[in-house]
Amino acid sequence: MTVRKFRLFIAPNIDKEEQWITEMSRKGLHLVKYEYFTYVFEEDPTKSYVYQIDFRQEAKRDYFQLYEDAGWEYVTNSMSIFHYFRADSSEASVQKLYTDNESIQDSFKRMISFYLLIFGLFLVSQLGLVVSWKGYLIQYIVAGMDIVFIVLYLYLFYAINKRIDFYRRK
Amino acid sequence: MAKEAELFLPLSQATYYILLSLREVRHGYAIMQDVEMVSKGEVTLGPGTLYGALGKLEKQGVIEKAIVQDDERRKYYELTDLGKLVVRLEYNRLKSLVENSKEIIKEIKED
Repeated sequence: MTVRKFRLFIAPNIDKEEQWITEMSRKGLHLVKYEYFTYVFEEDPTKSYVYQIDFRQEAKRDYFQLYEDAGWEYVTNSMSIFHYFRADSSEASVQKLYTDNESIQDSFKRMISFYLLIFGLFLVSQLGLVVSWKGYLIQYIVAGMDIVFIVLYLYLFYAINKRIDFYRRK
Repeated sequence: MAKEAELFLPLSQATYYILLSLREVRHGYAIMQDVEMVSKGEVTLGPGTLYGALGKLEKQGVIEKAIVQDDERRKYYELTDLGKLVVRLEYNRLKSLVENSKEIIKEIKED
């Protein structure tokens, strides 16, 4: 049986997302696919997996092979940058993806550079609005949407930075 | 090159063991296993941590991609000349630390 669940997680809450998927698996629902905020689970009460998500751009074959060799089965991805892996929860010898705080910080730093790039491209793409500003209603609407987007992104950077700080102090 | 190599010191425990494991050409998972064995289980590396470390070391020119014919799915690594020097300098550094303090440490007793 297949179960679909809609849920929103923001990038810095990657560990909450992992916990939720792992908890679902403990109940017998195992993530097999992620698509547009929709998590597709397959039911099998006899199994239980631990899930981990890794942020990685330009993931190549050797990357997936190393994770597989280390006991992590590839499950699905989001936008080809968030990669979902799972390991049988009874398999005690499988190491967590990240075993020191420094490399966890590095992964959040990679995340920040990625979103900064998108944010920068977005700002450049909206320059036209400023240049051609005539005070039309439609321009106010677009500007309003831009502001929402900018606030969201600023929050995102703040939240990721907080995560980096957390691991720096740990 | 010695000057350049010294800039890498001191190495983290994990980096030291990774470089030691590349006394032979190895792929990522073989490095993980060797590090665990050589360190007697003291140092274990997750694949994400190792993958990041290998990328950094390769960028710094301490290790490089090795050509291995019959395995296209895995990336193999070896030490560069710089890398060999780095790991040897680190060994000497650690050795002199221990030797210089061998007698003195006896004077520092537990309360």
